[in-house]
This record gives sequence, structure tokens and C-alpha cells, in this order.
Amino acid sequence: MTMRASLLACGAISLAAALLLQSGPAALAGDVEEAAAICSACHGENGVPVDKSIPVLWGQNEGYIYLQLRDFKLGNRKNVNMTEIAAGLDKPSMKQLAAYFSAKPWPNLGQPSAPHDLAVSAETTAGSAGCRGCHQENWEGDSVTPRVSGQGTQYLRETMVQFRSGERANNPWMAALLKTYTDGDIDAMARYLAGK
Amino acid sequence: MAKIASLALVAGAVAVALAGMAQAQEVRNATKFGDMATVTQDLLNRASDDGNNFLHTNGNYAQTRFYPNRQINTGNVSKLHPAWIFQTDVKDSLETSPIVVNGVMYVTTSFDHVYALNARTGEEIWHYKQKLGPISTYCCGPNNRGVAVAGDMVYLATLDAKLVALDAKTGKPAWSTDVADPELGYSETMAPTVVNGKVLLGTNGGEYGIRGFVKAFDAKTGKLLWTFDTTPENSQGVWATTDATGRDMHRDIAAEKAAYGKNGDPYKTLGGGVWQNPSYDAASNRLFFVVGNPSPDLDGSVRPGDNLYTDSMVSIDLDTGKYVCHFQYIAHDVWDLDAVSPTVLVDAKDASGAMVPAVLHAGKTGHIYVNNRKDCSLIRFSEAMVPQENMWVLPTKDGARMLPGANGGVEWSPIATNPWAGLAYAINLHQPMTYHVENSAYPGGKLWLGGAFKVIPSEEQWGNVTAVDYNTGKIRWQVKTSQPMIGGILATAGGLVFTGEPNGTFEALDSMTGATLWQFHAGAGVNAPPSSYTVEGKQYVVVGAGGNAQIDSKRGNNIIAFTVD
Repeated sequence: MTMRASLLACGAISLAAALLLQSGPAALAGDVEEAAAICSACHGENGVPVDKSIPVLWGQNEGYIYLQLRDFKLGNRKNVNMTEIAAGLDKPSMKQLAAYFSAKPWPNLGQPSAPHDLAVSAETTAGSAGCRGCHQENWEGDSVTPRVSGQGTQYLRETMVQFRSGERANNPWMAALLKTYTDGDIDAMARYLAGK
Repeated sequence: MAKIASLALVAGAVAVALAGMAQAQEVRNATKFGDMATVTQDLLNRASDDGNNFLHTNGNYAQTRFYPNRQINTGNVSKLHPAWIFQTDVKDSLETSPIVVNGVMYVTTSFDHVYALNARTGEEIWHYKQKLGPISTYCCGPNNRGVAVAGDMVYLATLDAKLVALDAKTGKPAWSTDVADPELGYSETMAPTVVNGKVLLGTNGGEYGIRGFVKAFDAKTGKLLWTFDTTPENSQGVWATTDATGRDMHRDIAAEKAAYGKNGDPYKTLGGGVWQNPSYDAASNRLFFVVGNPSPDLDGSVRPGDNLYTDSMVSIDLDTGKYVCHFQYIAHDVWDLDAVSPTVLVDAKDASGAMVPAVLHAGKTGHIYVNNRKDCSLIRFSEAMVPQENMWVLPTKDGARMLPGANGGVEWSPIATNPWAGLAYAINLHQPMTYHVENSAYPGGKLWLGGAFKVIPSEEQWGNVTAVDYNTGKIRWQVKTSQPMIGGILATAGGLVFTGEPNGTFEALDSMTGATLWQFHAGAGVNAPPSSYTVEGKQYVVVGAGGNAQIDSKRGNNIIAFTVD
């Protein structure tokens, strides 16, 4: 299946999943594997997302996954598919899914390491903003802070741009920080982190 | 030296195996205070004179960090060398204050591991690893600053906002209690304090829109005894226009009053974390502690008023948790130049020259404040220990440069004092930053700074060690360091102060002159407060070298004890 076809399928399954989940969260809480299969339509059966605008979920930090699901449900973070899906989840279900995906191994997306000059630029930007204070020395985050190393380049770039524009509004600190970033800073950070 | 004892560890059977190991090991006891495996209240009360143990995070209830043994002194410190090095399982930010009880040392690491070590040899006795829940919210690294000891228990506060009591002999949990809801931004990195059967805890979360507190729990059961909310329901205060030093803070009082009238008091999400241990004054049965910044840090528009009791020193009654008095250093702070370094109780000269019970606090502003313990009133503030420029320029969207940067001055690092000399020793940062403001609604337990503070990459950063005469406020000596300093400092009766740097240097300075008498390179950032203790008549100095997340110094996993043969 081509990437475009995968994405269309992913969207269709998301809508179907939303309808299924809205029948009641108990159905999900009963079988996390079944529910996770719905997620895998977009986030990838082997942990590699079917589209570059979709984040890696396998191996992501548990608290972070839970809070994003919570925020999708509350409307604090917006995404057509995820808003629909999260609407049918209750808190225990969200925690189950978070625990399930965080226990999976992080997939290798095979992205290249950033060239030296780009890495130096990204390190300077990161040092100035104190990024490692939350995302940790190895950029793998912890608990409610996401792993960003090895995440998809396009997703990272788009996410930072969305924080900067205010389109993504569920973390005001990141929004404020990204407002001080140039396009060049964001591109360097995205490529640097993706290649870690 | 190789990792000493963790080779014997088998995952999954840790507690049982270690209980056995504890019995098998020979831990030679100290003598002066008797063969005391149990930490009595009397022992805790007399800690300032105890030349064997190190029983409190900051040495004693007054938190002087003055160790009374002088076996290691200015005359022999050049011969100081590692006695042992213990490598923990966690190579990450290390802020622990080693506690030593009768030849047994307790240290903690990031992510809430606790180790009991033989203080003479560095051999592991037991290792406890807190199983953290899915939500741990912390702004500045997965730190833990150490345990408290009392009775037969070791007390640990965790990143997921729990208080855990461990059996001191085995490391097995006796009980655990929820301190607050981590999903709302509460977390614990401080060491608890135990007084008269009460375990005292503040909270992190001033960066997350919490309502701060100090809580007291029953030391035997974990039952909550009282809560002191650090942001009272009427937090508007007196609409102060100047800080404690008399400088204009450029507040728009009329606009604030209008917002206050329209939106009401912001106390429910006003922040006011308590990062560090309280001092305890037995004579008045009162606690003294400092309260951190208001939430959101940089955007004052959503929190009109003085934002009591943020950026303040507060005194409360130990038995009831009731308010006695406070002093606010900065009203309506919009720079995160808050109060985090723990309070110290000393006797100091008041304005008339009379010696009075006083309380010291080293601010992120770079001043050491001296207040009267009786009514919390300000006696004096010291000369600034770091450059101050453009104070108090208001944060802007594009960023306004002001010194000090948001880490200080003096960060959470405890100061030390030499009561004989009337000196306080503080470690400082110089990190030029720009302050940016952005308005945003309360994000439900997420990081909520109301903007950003950013280091200016083109400007030089450095630190210093400063000795201040707290009876005059004058700087006695100052030693510049190549990097900003976070961690802590220890003074000893041997005429020394010990402190560490992010580049891995651990050093001893002459406490009267600041002369560097000894240095050791630890290979990772030394950003933890040192302790000292004595076993079998031999004095040791111990410090953690594991780097620091907040200033991103090189990480490591070493606990290093030094002695002189």
C-alpha cells in the first residue's frame, strides 16, 4: 500500500473507531489489544507511523500519552481523528492505552544524523532554551515529557510550528518558547532530534 | 574504583537479598553519642554539636551546614583523597544531601532510588527503587535531594508526589501516602524534615499553577496532621510598589486592582511551591521556610495583587501549622527571582547592634536577607553577590534583558554559615537572560510560565563563592568560578568550606579568606551539597557527582567520600 493509500485507510479506520468507541468505553477497557489495533491503523502496526505527519507512539512515555489523550478529549489539543477517538475514552482506558504503547520498543525510523553545523546550531538553540531540563540529556523525556529523539522529522517540524503559531495550544510553555524560534532554528532542531 | 556492591544485586529479589546483606555486613558504629541505631528526637535536636553523624539535610534544625569536627582542617586538607567511590545505578542529575547515622549513609538519586551504604567502606547495604506512577511532573530534572531519618525509619518524598517510609535496616517500605495529585503539577524533590513525630513536606509545582503548601504527616502512620496553604484566600497583600531593597518594581497598581475586582483572588492556581526544608526553632516551636514563585512565572496580568505568600519567608507553628508572620522579598514577581535556598537560623545583630534571633535567606536576587525571627521583619540585606542590571524591567514579548537571570543569584542551593565568624557562604550563578511574557490560560497542570526566560548565548556565564558578614551585610571575600554554580556548600570547624562546580571540580576553600586549598576532579558535575561525618574516629567529607539537569552539566553516578590518612 502506498503512503497516501495508508493515510486514507488510517483516516477511515479512525472514523470507524470513533463510532465504535462511542458505544462505550467499557468495550475498550476490556481488550486493550483490540483497541490498540485501531490506533495502529495510523500509528503503525510495527510502530512506524503510516504517514510522516503522524507521531511515533511505540515507546513514547506513558504519562505523556495519557495527557495527550486527556487533552484531545477536553478539546485542549485538536486533531480531527484524535478528537473523535478520545471522545469515547474514559480515564482508565486512556491509562491502559498509555501503558500499553509505552511498553513497546521505540522503532528506528532510519533517519540520518544531522550534519555537524546543523547539530552545533541545534545544540546552541537547545542550550539557550534549556530544553534538556525537561526532555532529558538523551532527549528521551520522562513521564509527562515526550521523547523527541528519533521522532519523525516532519512531525517534529510541524509540531514546533504549530506551537509557535498557537495552533497547538495544550502546552503554553512550549508555545512561548517556540515563539522565540526562527524557521531555521526549528528546522535545525527537527533534523537534529530526528537523527538522534 | 569499581562499582562496589551492586554486583551482588539481583533484580527482583532486591529487598530480601539486601536484608540479609545488611546483617552480614560489619558496620562499625560511631561512639560519641552511643550505639544508636535509632535516631531519637534528642539526637536530632543536638545535631549541631554532633561530630559523628550528619542527621539533617542541612546539618541541623537551624540549617547552618556547619560541621563541628575539625580533624580535616586548613593544615591537612591538601592530603585529602578519595576513601571510596560508590557508583549508583542512575546516571542522572544528582542533588542528594548524604545523611549519616551511626556509620550508615543514606543517599538518593534521580528517579527516587535510595541507597544505604556503609559509610566507612562505601559498600551497599540495601537499595530501594520507588516504582513511579505514570504521572511525574517536574520542571527541572528528575531530582531528589535526599531522605530524612527519625526513629527506625528513612523518609523519602517522590516525583509522583508520595511520601514513603522505609525501614532503616532493610529498605523495605513500611507505609506510603499520597501527598497531592501529580496530574495537577505537584511533585516532590525535596528531602523531608522530621520534628517531634511530624514529617514535614513542601511541594514543587510553582511552574504548574498549583496551590502550594507545607504539610505535616504522622511519622508513624503517614496520616496527614495539618496543611498550611502558602497562598491564602486573600493573597492581595498591601500592593507593594518596591521590593525588599526599596527598588521600584514598575507595577501598574490601578490595572491590577481593576483585574482583582473583576476576576477575584487568584489563590487557587497561584503557585507558591516550597522547594527546600524548613528550619525549626525549638525555643519558639516555630518553623521558618521560604515560598517560591507565583504561577504563572512571568505573566502577572492573570494574578493581580502581591501574590502572598510567594517569594516570602514564612513562619508557622509546628504543632498546628498556623501562620505566625511573614516577610515578602518581592511582591508580584514576574521574573521567577523567587525564594528557594533554605532558611538558616543564627543570632545576628539588629539595627541597634543588639544580638537577636535571626533568620537568613540567600535570594535569587543575589542578596542575603537577614530577618528578625520574632516578627519576620527585615533587619538588613547584603551587598549583591552577582551583577544586577536593568532591575526591575518588565518582561516583554520580544524579551527584556535583566540581571540576574531567572536561576539567580542563589538557586535552591543551601548556604552554609560559620556562626563563630558571623559569615554566610553562598554559591551563585551569573547567567544573563532575556525575560519574555506570553499570556495563556491555566493549562490544567501543565508547565505554565506565562512566557519564557532564555539564556543569551553570546554572553559569558560564570559563578562565584561568596562569604558575607551577616552582621553588616558586607561581602568578606568572593571567588569567581568558570561556570554558574548550583548545588550547595558545607562549612566545617576545620576552617574550611567545601563546594563543587558543574565542570566536576570539588574544592576546599579557606573559610576566612577564600583561598583554594584543595581540588579534586570528579569527572561529572558536582552539583550537590556536601556532608561530613566521622566513623571510628576518622572524619570524612562526602559529595555526589552526577551533574545537573537544570544547568545541563555533565551527568555521572558517583558518591565520593574523602578522608585524610
